[in-house]
Amino acid sequence: MTTLARLGKFQHFVDDLAGLDDEMRFEYVLDMAKKHKDDPFSPGAMDDEHLMHGCMSRVWMLHDIDDDGRHWFRGHSDGAIVNGLVHMMTESFSGLTGEELAALTIDQVRRLNLGAMTTQRQVGMMAMLKHMQKLARQDRSGAR
Amino acid sequence: MNGPATAMRQPGSNTPYDVAAVRADFPILARPVYGKRLAFLDSAASAQKPQAVIDAVQRVYGEEYANVHRGLYFLSERATNAFEDARETVARYIGAPHPHEVIFTRNATEAINLVAASWGRSNLSAGDEVLITELEHHANIVPWQLLAQERGIVLRVAPIADDGSFMADAFYRLIGPRTKLVSVAHVSNVLGTVLPVTDIIAAAHAAGAWVLIDGCQAIQHMTVDVRALDCDFYVFSGHKLYGPSGIGALWGREAILEAMPPYMGGGDMIERVSFDGTTFAGLPHKFEAGTPAIAQAIGLAAAIRYVEGLGTAAIAAHEAALLAYMADALASVPGLRLIGTAPGKVSVVSLSADFAHAFDIAAIVDREGVAVRSGHHCAQPLMARMGVEATVRASLGLYSDRQDVDQFVTALERVRRVLG
Repeated sequence: MTTLARLGKFQHFVDDLAGLDDEMRFEYVLDMAKKHKDDPFSPGAMDDEHLMHGCMSRVWMLHDIDDDGRHWFRGHSDGAIVNGLVHMMTESFSGLTGEELAALTIDQVRRLNLGAMTTQRQVGMMAMLKHMQKLARQDRSGAR
Repeated sequence: MNGPATAMRQPGSNTPYDVAAVRADFPILARPVYGKRLAFLDSAASAQKPQAVIDAVQRVYGEEYANVHRGLYFLSERATNAFEDARETVARYIGAPHPHEVIFTRNATEAINLVAASWGRSNLSAGDEVLITELEHHANIVPWQLLAQERGIVLRVAPIADDGSFMADAFYRLIGPRTKLVSVAHVSNVLGTVLPVTDIIAAAHAAGAWVLIDGCQAIQHMTVDVRALDCDFYVFSGHKLYGPSGIGALWGREAILEAMPPYMGGGDMIERVSFDGTTFAGLPHKFEAGTPAIAQAIGLAAAIRYVEGLGTAAIAAHEAALLAYMADALASVPGLRLIGTAPGKVSVVSLSADFAHAFDIAAIVDREGVAVRSGHHCAQPLMARMGVEATVRASLGLYSDRQDVDQFVTALERVRRVLG
């Protein structure tokens, strides 16, 4: 499977958001917030070790790597809107190899076109991507 | 040279405060946001500007701009006069004995840093104590922490009560023989608590300590008279007083300022420079190195004249009534917790909700045209003290009205429907 194919979920979000105006994009993000509001997350992982910095509300992220060397992420935020965005990011960029993750740039995040909604949101999502890349790098360097 | 504000009242007037006329003086309040009426409830972060201020700044650049203090030509003379008139206006507004005791800074943060760097470095040594409270803005915490790291001074922090009230006994117990400076907010930017600064100043002076008052959240809501307060330093930011951003003021007692070394070196602050040594200008220029914020200072003076035209007592009465209205209205929304309910508080309501995070609330009410602040409000130690990560803060200005509050309450109901 190509990287492009593995980014299918991400492309799905990009396509969904592309045709929406500003107000509809906000409603889309709110729908994501409502959809994932009660998703379970390991209470034990909501600690300083799994806390990422750079978002306005608290975000915790878990990371795993499978036998094929693909990275998988799960995340949670105490803010519902950010929690929805965390799910968009982890769903978008899970299942990639370390090299594929490292090749992602903030331009990918820009393609979601959420910066028009608020700059802070886009900055937060860029921080999430960098955090995911960092977790993957640490894993590859055996620094878990 | 500055036209009267349309909402200007006569001093001592019995005319009711006409908030609709006041709002008409602020052009930005008429602009819709997302197609909705703007309910601007973030004046504690930065206030909107009346047309009188916008006009004053435009007039500077359009008609009388040049660098100040050095030019011998017409425009420089005009700009210098307007700039120094602005200093006199600030001095008059805060009851300063002398205009040269008013130092223009970028904001209150720079003013506190100026005192910490100049007065602090030359007057404090290891073991000396600076006393603050738990409700301070980071701008009144971090400069002293830097001095603690550099000089080994001790930062003492007085606790506040669960409702955000000042705790007199605990505070005064912390004033001791090593206390050299008491540095406190006049009004809390998160809780609205008004500190009893007159009592604090008297107690500090009795112990031989100087007092700095951070007036950022007081200067726009009440009459401030530094001579009556008898404080030693008073700082504020102009942009919270309906003036431009980039201008603030430090007031200090003449004798203290005279004895302080310069904060920054450069143009305008010198008397004579040679490679053998430099002698410094007198007050206030000793502390105003480089080209100052000329238009901003003149704009601040216009803002002060505007506020004076409405009358600080009338503004305070309007805001107090509206704050009570807002507290009552918010009490009707289930699931809200008000953070900070000290008696006599002013201007701000901080809240948390059991149905949504502060950031979710701010993001959703924004779409309803309501501008409120969410986060730690540059007061993380206070957030920890109150047991919250973040709050939503709605803050009032002289143009705030009941419709702003009603719009906020209605928007909160939407948050409950969406995320509750």
